[in-house]
Amino acid sequence: MKLKLTWLMTLFMAFVMQLSFAQEKTITGTVTTKDDGLPLPGASVIVKGTTRGAQTDFDGNYSLKASAGETLVFSYVGMKNTEMLVGSGSTINVAMEFDNQLEEVVVTGYKTQTKATSNVATVRVSAETIENRPNASFVQTLAGQAPGLNITTSSGQPGGNSLVQLRGVASINGNTEPLFIIDGAPVDEDNFRSLNPQDIASIDVLKDAGATAIYGNRGANGVIVIKTRQGNFGEGLKVNYNGFVAYSTLQDNDYNRMSSQQLLAYERDRGNGAGAGNSTGKFNPGNGTPLTDAQIAAAPNFDWTDFFFRTGVTQSHTLSLTSGSENTSQFTSFGFQDTEGVLEDSDLKRFNLRTNVSGKSTNEKFRYGANLSINYSKSNEPNSIGSTAINRNYVLGAFESVPYITDQDYVDGADLLAPLSFTNTPLFLLDRLRTYTRFEEEVKAIGSANFNYDITDWLTAGVVLSADYQSEFLTRAEGPTSFNALLFGGAENPTSGFQFQQSTRQFSYNQVTSLNFNKTFADKHTVDVGLYTEYFKAHLRTFGYRQDGLDPKTFFPGDGSGFIAPANGLFQDTANANILNAGLFSYFASLDYDYDTKYGFGATVRRDASYRFAGSNRWGTFWSVSGRWNISNEAFMDDSAIDNLKLRASYGTAGNQDIVGAGYFGGPDLTEDFFATGSGYGNANSIALAQLGNRSLQWETITTLNIGLDFGVWNSRLRGSFDVYQRQTTELFQSTPLSATTGVTQQNANTGELFNRGFDFIVDYDVFRAKSAGDFNFTVGIVGNFNETELQDIPNPEGEIIGLGRNGGKLFEIFTLRYVGVNPANGNLLYLTANGDVTENPDADNDRVWLDKNIIPDWNGSFKLNFDYKNFFLQTQFNYVFGVDRFDNDYASLIDQDDVGQFNLSADVLREWSQPGDVTDIPSPSASNRNSFGNSDRFLRSADFVRLRFASFGYNVPAKYLENTGLTNARVYVNGENLFTWTEWRGFDASSRGGQRSYPTPRTISVGFELGF
Amino acid sequence: MKKFSKIIFVGLLTIVMGCNDAIDIRQPGRLDAINAFQSVDDLQQGLLAVYNQWDVTPEIALSSNFTDELSVGFDSGGQGFALYDFVINAGSTAASDFWVRNYRANNRATILIEAAGNITPEAGEEDLYNDILAQAHAVRAYANLELMTYFSPDPSDDSTLAAPVVDFVAPLDYQPLRNTTGELWDYIDSDLNTALSLSNVQSDPTFISTDGINAMRARAALTRKDYPTAQTLASQLLSAYPLANRTQYENMWLDADNTEVIFKLERTLNDAYDGQGTTGSVAAGGWAGARFAFVDATLSGSPYFEMDRGVFNLLDPADIRFDVVVAPSSVINPDYATDPDPVNTDILVIQKYPGSEGRPLMNDLKVFRSSEMLLILAEARVAINNDLTGAANLIKQLRDARFGSAQAAPSFGSAQEAYAGILEERRIELCYEGHRYKDLKRLGTAANRGVDRDVTDCTTQSGACTLSASDFRFTLPIPIIEINANNGIGGQQNPGY
Repeated sequence: MKLKLTWLMTLFMAFVMQLSFAQEKTITGTVTTKDDGLPLPGASVIVKGTTRGAQTDFDGNYSLKASAGETLVFSYVGMKNTEMLVGSGSTINVAMEFDNQLEEVVVTGYKTQTKATSNVATVRVSAETIENRPNASFVQTLAGQAPGLNITTSSGQPGGNSLVQLRGVASINGNTEPLFIIDGAPVDEDNFRSLNPQDIASIDVLKDAGATAIYGNRGANGVIVIKTRQGNFGEGLKVNYNGFVAYSTLQDNDYNRMSSQQLLAYERDRGNGAGAGNSTGKFNPGNGTPLTDAQIAAAPNFDWTDFFFRTGVTQSHTLSLTSGSENTSQFTSFGFQDTEGVLEDSDLKRFNLRTNVSGKSTNEKFRYGANLSINYSKSNEPNSIGSTAINRNYVLGAFESVPYITDQDYVDGADLLAPLSFTNTPLFLLDRLRTYTRFEEEVKAIGSANFNYDITDWLTAGVVLSADYQSEFLTRAEGPTSFNALLFGGAENPTSGFQFQQSTRQFSYNQVTSLNFNKTFADKHTVDVGLYTEYFKAHLRTFGYRQDGLDPKTFFPGDGSGFIAPANGLFQDTANANILNAGLFSYFASLDYDYDTKYGFGATVRRDASYRFAGSNRWGTFWSVSGRWNISNEAFMDDSAIDNLKLRASYGTAGNQDIVGAGYFGGPDLTEDFFATGSGYGNANSIALAQLGNRSLQWETITTLNIGLDFGVWNSRLRGSFDVYQRQTTELFQSTPLSATTGVTQQNANTGELFNRGFDFIVDYDVFRAKSAGDFNFTVGIVGNFNETELQDIPNPEGEIIGLGRNGGKLFEIFTLRYVGVNPANGNLLYLTANGDVTENPDADNDRVWLDKNIIPDWNGSFKLNFDYKNFFLQTQFNYVFGVDRFDNDYASLIDQDDVGQFNLSADVLREWSQPGDVTDIPSPSASNRNSFGNSDRFLRSADFVRLRFASFGYNVPAKYLENTGLTNARVYVNGENLFTWTEWRGFDASSRGGQRSYPTPRTISVGFELGF
Repeated sequence: MKKFSKIIFVGLLTIVMGCNDAIDIRQPGRLDAINAFQSVDDLQQGLLAVYNQWDVTPEIALSSNFTDELSVGFDSGGQGFALYDFVINAGSTAASDFWVRNYRANNRATILIEAAGNITPEAGEEDLYNDILAQAHAVRAYANLELMTYFSPDPSDDSTLAAPVVDFVAPLDYQPLRNTTGELWDYIDSDLNTALSLSNVQSDPTFISTDGINAMRARAALTRKDYPTAQTLASQLLSAYPLANRTQYENMWLDADNTEVIFKLERTLNDAYDGQGTTGSVAAGGWAGARFAFVDATLSGSPYFEMDRGVFNLLDPADIRFDVVVAPSSVINPDYATDPDPVNTDILVIQKYPGSEGRPLMNDLKVFRSSEMLLILAEARVAINNDLTGAANLIKQLRDARFGSAQAAPSFGSAQEAYAGILEERRIELCYEGHRYKDLKRLGTAANRGVDRDVTDCTTQSGACTLSASDFRFTLPIPIIEINANNGIGGQQNPGY
């Protein structure tokens, strides 16, 4: 039978070939745009499956040879491809339609669907909006690009981690970040510094239960599916080069810090500090007599912000090669990036190699792909950022140092030991810059392979194998001659200083095996059923040591030649090692039904087991249902201006098994009772109770209801989608109080509820749409999300937990005293009692109130204005965040009058209260209650902002200038990140959620070019 | 094609069969509860963890900060202000620390005692086994004695409410109500009697042995005002542990002499308490000396608390206790009372915990000393048969030892005067050892004494200078942290809160 069929086929093929050879003829025609009927020059016409082709001329005319039965493919950038069958005639005219739906394809669950047949809330971020951005981590670039996705970067460290939250915060102690999947491999969501953003082809953000339930107990916070670039079959070698140079600087602040002259005069008035002649610092140390006006005028002004922060230079190069033969294709890229942070001693260097290969059997029944990326990075990362350590936190030195001390005052560490003066803070830090080393080296490899085989034309078996490996090596060393080593070593340990090295290796493996059934019945009923199993295993191995005592003669950071044997028990060298393993196993199924692209229904069910709950509720079941109505595909909509209208709804559950929020390995066996061996009484080895297990532990469950509408009007000139949702977290993992008589006072357990409610929208409108290439295009767009949180069932009788919130209130609602101002009579601070009466002496406990404010934004998103004309383009993205309240503790430090003589202050303190009747916002420096009530809303500020997050201006070199250069395309551009911010926030970075003295994200200008060969 | 299906089938099967290695994971290095204690040696190691729960720095911090042992130092960063202003409520650290820490110690000791019940000692191990049990019961008794002392409004009245008696490993949903003082005494006595009957080694003073158990019994009897028992035990111990001479006394505070130490908690390099602990808080922990200073026990060691001027004035420079308690680097201003800036001109640095083993501020914690037994004895003499002369002679005996020469005996005209004299001697002999709060509670009313801070210390702070010994704050409230978990006990709050 089989033989016979093959023989028949051969005969048939031979017949067709003969026919085609016989009938080749010249086809001519005109290509126009459907909108206005004007000719379309430069459109390409290709005979499908061949290399024969032509381009339309200035009048839209073309001519080429083809045979009857062949198909012509007409294509033009921004237009839908049109296919025409060559018949008996020799003229084929085509009117092409604009294609404004860049998101034609969406990734949902474990498969790819067309946008029209998708039932779920997803949004795609395409490569165009990610590439060439100077952020070391692509996650930072995503900020504002997808509705509902809130990305907060609280450190300017190149490649630093960002907090990614989709539609609010759905857990208190557990993980709140989405699952990230790169080419099928689930990866560590906190570490992208080593990856090259230029390799990314698309990012899909899956938001509702219909899309995420299939990820079971890892999908509760949404899923972000990343695909990297691939080659195409039957395509010649293409070489592409992208490169840019970027310059980063610190963003502005509005703290109005004093000059040396202002500060010294203020110190003289206050009788404290160098201005008053009683400082122990390097400038005018304690001669007892106040400075004269002339001396103050002559004092130096040194900008310590400029000293500790710099213009960081970044260079980035990516070279990629794509090619494809009939049955294989490949994409290979090499990347190198060197990013200097704006803070001294912070940088990131990385090298990337990626190779993606795909292939198929000649009959196309078997298909495979392999994606491998190997990355190495080295970053200098200062630590103690944010701390109050005047000898360790460079940012503190930059923001608060007195300007009359200069870098010329520095001799060496020993010189700073006596007298120990707070005023010398910048010199302690300058010493640390020169003597302290901290860097991380990382190897990260992500690999995945997928195999699919069509058992029949409606049944496909597949497997995806993937692995994520990262090996991080941290080195810290405090040189033996440093100020810190000398200070803490003291007489006991004159050869102080330490070296600390830590190796952390993490490997995870994931395997999905699937069987897919897909068949269309009676032309209109399409059914798709998938059956899957998923296996996940992860391993963590760490070890390290800390050596105290270094010999300055032979010490070098990272090397052990200078190690000194410990002299006594005071300075003990320590070693550490840790092994942890994690695993998950799941099986699940999906069903999708479509009727004529008009109605659709989907359902998923997933059974999930986590290693975390081995002793309690190992298996969980998660499910979802979803449906859609493509209203615009109904006959009654045929003559409407609305060309796309789709109503979607979904409801379902997903789980959060990372209930402690510490990644794969956090809280591995909280269901068990354990003892531990280790140091006990008298530092002798002992056996002590280590953990009392919670036998009823389980995952948090998040139930999401989502209703959405996708629309396109006037040939999709106006297009977008709107979604309204509620996410309800139950079995919230949080601290539950226990009677102390049990030996513990609390245990984390599944109790309480948290709601996130809100809506997302994305709308684009083409204000001007080009009628022909080179015309003016102007598109505006807005992306937004409104979200509010609400707590319920807080596990104590009061129904409130300070720091967490109250029943019916916001998550992390602020609970504190209310400050109202300065008493004009005596310069004391005034507060409100709980009843609203003004008082100087509130009850620090009972007069606190709930303020209905928190740090989680109510609104966030962006709007954009994009222009292009001829070969120029200008893109802008303005991000906005509203409803964030933060404590401005940097400002609090800068108006703390008790710091006079030790740190710089804001010039605001010059208007401090000084005599009865003064109406001012700065209290008297001797106000009797100035230090009595440290916690109040006095420094609570709105951190709402609108920011020109990104702007890009560029020029595409026209093809005619590239003839004979060997180049196929060329583009030059200037990009800016964080260019302007409109905000009431006075600090360096309104968008950060970092606390005081933290490392702000920079403003960056880059210049780059892209060349294709 | 068939072959391929088979491969897929087998592949799927492997996955399903092989899934248990992903979800049945045992992390390395875990010691299950059932395997933790299998031999007497294991119990010995378990005992070291139980001892590690025992700390008296919270007593030192509460007593000194709340009563009249301290003034706010020139280097203060605001540590301990609320407690200095006599602020104690159900949310205070004092309440939660004493409650939680002692129930934790009670729980850990009980776990060990129950584990020991499952182990039969081999021949030759019986003594060690019994000794371990004796110590576990003694540690548990001390924890419950603290609960008694701080949470019973009157430990000498069996009918008052004390704290719940939990003599078993409580399940996690346990929510007990308070037992009476009499019932809690029964539990403490039972532990002390068991300890005494099992104790068979007179070990070094860093572990509890027969003498330590008896010292604890003496203090318990004193707390309960069972003076005859207190008298018997105190006099027995005082003869076994004579008072130290001046050199021995000085060396005792450097951890170099144990002449009059009946029991002390060892504190050594790199142990769990080798650090500052929580400064300015009753939670304390860490080095004893860090209750008063950040860096070391000298003028330049950032002393955030200094001596109360009143304590200083009670110390005669010829008394060895002056040398022990007052750091030589102190700045002493005889005109402090009239000086406009006494905070910066009269700096009295506390040196009782100067440090040891090269670590500043770290010293062993002397829990029971013979001088305390002497003072217990003196109090018992007055209480039992109004023996005022006997009490005066005991105080003279103590002063003779501390001065190194014969001192005049005090003269007491009444029991109240005698109690006041004993209280004053305790104030300097046992200062910064965590006794003053308990002493005022027990004896303050009878002696007509209360918190009495030197005027220069308290007025420059907030004016909180005196507090009557009958004030409700000499009993701690049931902490909010317990009420949150155990609503019923909230209805049994101590008077005044």
